[in-house]
Amino acid sequence: MYHLLVSFCEWLQNTDWALNIAGSTWAYPYVQMIHFSGLSLWVGTNLALDLNLLGVGRKRMTPAELSGALFAWNWIGLGIAVAGGFMLFATAATSFIVNPAFQLKLGLLFPLALILHIIVQSKARIWGQTTTTPAVAKFAGFTELLLWLSVATAAVSIPIFEHI
Amino acid sequence: MRFCHWLSQTWFIAWITNSVVMSTLVELTHYFSLFLLVGSIVIVDLRIMGLAARRRNATQLADDLFPLMWTGLALNFLSGFLLFAGDAPTFWVNWVFHIKMTVVLVAVIFGVIVQWNVRRWDRPSGIPIGAKLLAFVSLALWIGSILAAVEVPALTSVG
Repeated sequence: MYHLLVSFCEWLQNTDWALNIAGSTWAYPYVQMIHFSGLSLWVGTNLALDLNLLGVGRKRMTPAELSGALFAWNWIGLGIAVAGGFMLFATAATSFIVNPAFQLKLGLLFPLALILHIIVQSKARIWGQTTTTPAVAKFAGFTELLLWLSVATAAVSIPIFEHI
Repeated sequence: MRFCHWLSQTWFIAWITNSVVMSTLVELTHYFSLFLLVGSIVIVDLRIMGLAARRRNATQLADDLFPLMWTGLALNFLSGFLLFAGDAPTFWVNWVFHIKMTVVLVAVIFGVIVQWNVRRWDRPSGIPIGAKLLAFVSLALWIGSILAAVEVPALTSVG
């Protein structure tokens, strides 16, 4: 399985488009822009809902209303972030898969945070009927916030492990 | 320039720059606050353009999201200043960094204009076309500021 993954990464890294992005001074920043714009939508809207569940900030809308209002662009954001992230990954796939911070980010923290987000988003309709949320909603919102912070910590730690 | 040299050599900035944990923490704050800042303003811009949360009125959405935007901006500015201070003399003369800061400043001005006017634009007859155009410019400016930010290391190997 691991050898298959390494072979896939070697192939991916040597595709024409991946080589073009990696070797171009103008294309790489545009791909980064796509990744960060998608992340802004995805993480920004996740944080807005988590903080609303926690009762932080102004609350003209209930968590159920806010979750509904943000739903479409929340997932569009993830789509954009994943598309940009995949292109960035492709430029140095063989280095990324052996990087412990990247492994922790994509192998454990991101799937956990994503699963919890799906639960929080679906439960927000029940928990968030009024502006006052139950303790379980606050706990779920706080845990999701911590998990996205952990994903981001792993992501910013990737360069630290690049030369180890 | 003398101030930049002094700033980068203060014990506090040198401590952050030389500590892996502290510099990671500052970087993490910068990214996370960027997501909060851009995510919330872009949703308001998209609502004004008629592309998001059409069942909610724009004022209600803006009232809930603008405090997050300003919190994000404050944290982003603070962490950004600490990152700048670590290599202040280099950033001070970096032309791409100047472009980035100009785009960010204009984007913040557009953010203020949107916040001041959203209540007036939010009419039952629909949001005026001029407001939609302004929201589009605001959205483009925030994406432009992300592009300018990633162009700093790409074009000048700084940061």
